[in-house]
Amino acid sequence: MHVNFHATLRRDPWFLSGVTLSALFLILALLGPFLAPFSPWNMDFIPLSPPSATHLLGVNDGGQDIFSELLYAIRNTFVFGVISASTALFLGVLLGAVAGWFGGVVDLILMRLADVLLAIPAIMILILVAALFRPSPVFLALILSGLMWPTISKTIRAQTLNLKQSLHVRAARQMGGGSGYIIAKHLIPEMFPLYLIGFAAKARMAMFMEASLAFLGLLDPSRKSLGMMISYALQFYYMDIWWHWLFPPIICLSLMIMMVTFLAISLEKVLDPRLKESMPGRRL
Amino acid sequence: MSLKIKDFSVVYRDGDHSIQAVEEATISVERGRCLALVGESGSGKTTLGKACLGLLPGNAQTAGRIFLNDREIDFSNETLLNQLRWQRISMVFQNGAETLNPAYRIIDQVAEPLVEKGGENRKSALKRASAALFDMGLPEACHRRYPHQLSGGQVQRGLLAMAVILEPDILILDEPTSALDALNKSFVVEIIQRYKERGKGILLITHDLEFAVRHGDEMAVLYLGQVMETLPAGEMLSNPIHPYTMALGRSYPTMGTARDLGGIRGDAFYRLVHQHGRRDEAQYHHSHIQIPESAHANGHAPPTGCLFQGRCTQAIEACKTGYVNFEAVQNHQVRCLRRGIVSALSLKGVSKKYGNNTALNGTDLELKAGELLSLVGETGSGKTTLAMIAGGVMAQDHGFRTFEDRDMDEWLKNDMGTIARRIGVVYQNPAESISHRFTCMTLWPNP
Amino acid sequence: MIRNAHKLTRNDLGLVITFLIAASVMTWLSYSLPRFLPGDFVTATYGSSQVTLTAEQEAALRDYYGENEGFGNYLLRLVHLDWGYSYGFQTPVSALFFSALPWTILLMGSAHLISMVIGFVAGVEAAWRRNRPFEKGLVGGMTVLEGIPEICTGVILLFVFALQLQWFPAAGAETAYGEKVFLAHVLDVVHHLTLPLCTLVLAYFPGNFLLTRNSMMMVIMADYVNTARAKGLPPLRIRYVHAARNALIPVVTRFGMRLAFMITGALVVEKINAYPGVGTLLYNAIAARDLPVIQVVVLMSSLLILAIFFALEFAYRLIDPRIHHAR
Repeated sequence: MHVNFHATLRRDPWFLSGVTLSALFLILALLGPFLAPFSPWNMDFIPLSPPSATHLLGVNDGGQDIFSELLYAIRNTFVFGVISASTALFLGVLLGAVAGWFGGVVDLILMRLADVLLAIPAIMILILVAALFRPSPVFLALILSGLMWPTISKTIRAQTLNLKQSLHVRAARQMGGGSGYIIAKHLIPEMFPLYLIGFAAKARMAMFMEASLAFLGLLDPSRKSLGMMISYALQFYYMDIWWHWLFPPIICLSLMIMMVTFLAISLEKVLDPRLKESMPGRRL
Repeated sequence: MSLKIKDFSVVYRDGDHSIQAVEEATISVERGRCLALVGESGSGKTTLGKACLGLLPGNAQTAGRIFLNDREIDFSNETLLNQLRWQRISMVFQNGAETLNPAYRIIDQVAEPLVEKGGENRKSALKRASAALFDMGLPEACHRRYPHQLSGGQVQRGLLAMAVILEPDILILDEPTSALDALNKSFVVEIIQRYKERGKGILLITHDLEFAVRHGDEMAVLYLGQVMETLPAGEMLSNPIHPYTMALGRSYPTMGTARDLGGIRGDAFYRLVHQHGRRDEAQYHHSHIQIPESAHANGHAPPTGCLFQGRCTQAIEACKTGYVNFEAVQNHQVRCLRRGIVSALSLKGVSKKYGNNTALNGTDLELKAGELLSLVGETGSGKTTLAMIAGGVMAQDHGFRTFEDRDMDEWLKNDMGTIARRIGVVYQNPAESISHRFTCMTLWPNP
Repeated sequence: MIRNAHKLTRNDLGLVITFLIAASVMTWLSYSLPRFLPGDFVTATYGSSQVTLTAEQEAALRDYYGENEGFGNYLLRLVHLDWGYSYGFQTPVSALFFSALPWTILLMGSAHLISMVIGFVAGVEAAWRRNRPFEKGLVGGMTVLEGIPEICTGVILLFVFALQLQWFPAAGAETAYGEKVFLAHVLDVVHHLTLPLCTLVLAYFPGNFLLTRNSMMMVIMADYVNTARAKGLPPLRIRYVHAARNALIPVVTRFGMRLAFMITGALVVEKINAYPGVGTLLYNAIAARDLPVIQVVVLMSSLLILAIFFALEFAYRLIDPRIHHAR
């Protein structure tokens, strides 16, 4: 694939914004527990009090400090997104490369599986599982990645098919390189830009799902989440809680989704001409 | 039904730089005639063709005029232009993968001009389109197909049918034969014939010289945007007057390795036109050719003179400066300072005897600049003798020899130094012609 | 449109099989997952919920979800629309579902329709006028808007228009016990529909716009657009009949892929605006641990989505002749 996209990327305002925001939220996610003035589960405070010096964002209806809640919520959403996207990426790349490289029956089975999984609406499964079993968020993240890998694998498979024809791969084969070696050394590193795009896109979906699931009340109520905070705050819409309780999680959630959206868009923009030639027809 | 292009120039702007695609081209397509526009890739042929229809991109600046049926085309008026397009003048584009819209059937696309421009109702338009396609040799079954279902030749026929459906006066064909086999090529010939018979004019843009020579009536040769010569098409190989025309005629692919000998030497790139000093409207029009080796310090080649002089076989000092006009020479129009190909070497009535043996008896020889002349004959027919005399190695008994319009005998006698390097000889017998005392390294720099 | 699109190919068969498999998986999951719950089903689900059951209700439930109900029986019940009974709402689930469904269809249907049309036209026109400052600003704005999830837009709109300005109601699809006169009723519905509709349109529009614009920008460079110009056709026709027509293909393709995730957004928006559609129904059922409702809603929604996917596949071939003839 193309090597010289770094310069273009570095100049693209969307990419820069995305990276900056990601860095910011990464820091917040890592340092969350240390920055929080109180434990978010601490219910000792006067419920529904407005912002003050000690409580930057006030106190929620359960007597918990909103600012601390927010920090933990950011962290949870961030982690959920990362776990889900990475696993989806891993599965997608592995299965896509294998399908593309080996072809034949393996390809057929894997792609059929991908098609079926694509057809199943992810949210429904997640709702069903979450409603019935109340599993840990990590488990849900993994289920989500199990439903997200098909799109990645299709892209990777198409690119693998393309690369199979390239000279250095054919040379490696001629020299006796085994499949595992070629896949590991020749194919996987070549498609690096695709990984970035895939990761950004899936992280976006995952974070959105996490917020939505939390909003719908499907996640563990004691686990702090942006979606959950919004949901609770909304119940008190008739009160004066909008600015300090409702908007902060909204803004944070928007910024987080924006940051991955910007990354995905700028990456796609820069790399698209290179991808275009390898995409046959419509299915990616 | 004529198309006349007068002093037409096209410059593509690209930020600070511009590319001169066409410069002051003057050509005309007469009624019932076919003008072939030939030249290498990048010579401006397609640009000129597209310009006639006003299809140049937004960053193109044009100058000059184009007359359709003796009426000037106003390119600024898009509505009028739209009326002309396809109805008075149409173009068959180079047959690429997507010249036809992939989303519609070919019959719909052929019928479209009838409906949209001719105001016909759909049913009759489809009928006429079907007839037109059939006329072009496409069987009924193909009519309702999509472009991706048709072969290259079939698409070409479809494009032709589409272009002539409104019976325009002028038909421009851009590389109609580039992707075709012999059968389809002859079909294009047929179409050209038919169209000419009806009094229409055809502008044939092609780099297939053979096709142009055989089927064009007139020919215009383009080089880097300038018309180097206009001539009757049939005389291109027999009587070219511009050195480039001759060289072009000789640039057959098989002569690749010997290209520099008989074909076109070197490489050229683009013609750039700088615009310095924009602020106060004082624009330095500074034109140059971008080539690897440059004469100027800041990377520019000399800005004036003949465009072709860097690659010409007979360029003289005067060719580097001074503007070259497009003049009539014989029955051609030629843009050359020396008024066309000059004679390089000439032998008249040369005779030579070796004792009793008459090697040459009143032999004439004329070698033009850039020409590759082969002397063939049996052993002892006098080939080598003639060559030696021509090369200045041997003197003749009788007769005259001239090199670059100067008498060789006089030259050799008085000014050996200047003529010595001008003629190179490769001898038949290596062992004899080289002193066995010298090593290769000392030998080569010898002259 | 494409003629002969109805001829089936081997590709179609594969498609049908895929969807059948997916549908079966969903149905089976909705059947079997409840049976995987640890411990006693009834206590596990209803123990901590807001619904309290009488002894006979418990017994009925146990019987209902007993292991002896086979999959076949389950399927039969589904087909007969015997979807069980909601204890939280004290109504048959089918009644609940079918009273909520029309509202959701109204909301989502119109949101998609409007955003597709506006997004497409805006994208085509923007690409045609590329690189003018207004267009660049528009693209930038849309990119930012695309990054804002439905939850956020929904809440913001609610705040501004329902609470602060009081232009629109904050809840419901129609005023309860309101006018039954047709015109007034319609207006009333539209009035209630506006906020959630705007939220969804704002969420869907940027994606459509950007995608159309990108697709169109590539199409504009194509040779056939040049050919159309040469033919002297009116600019509007060139733009839409020739160019936009081809730009449509990737847009429709991507639409299908995003569909599943758009559902999530719709659910959330319904809840925010308390719009009595399937989403709110689901939310309330989840809160009340009303399992029969959850099951049915999930299953039916999934099947509906699958049906739409399936329909889309056929839409592709109507639009892109190259697909229909590809092996």
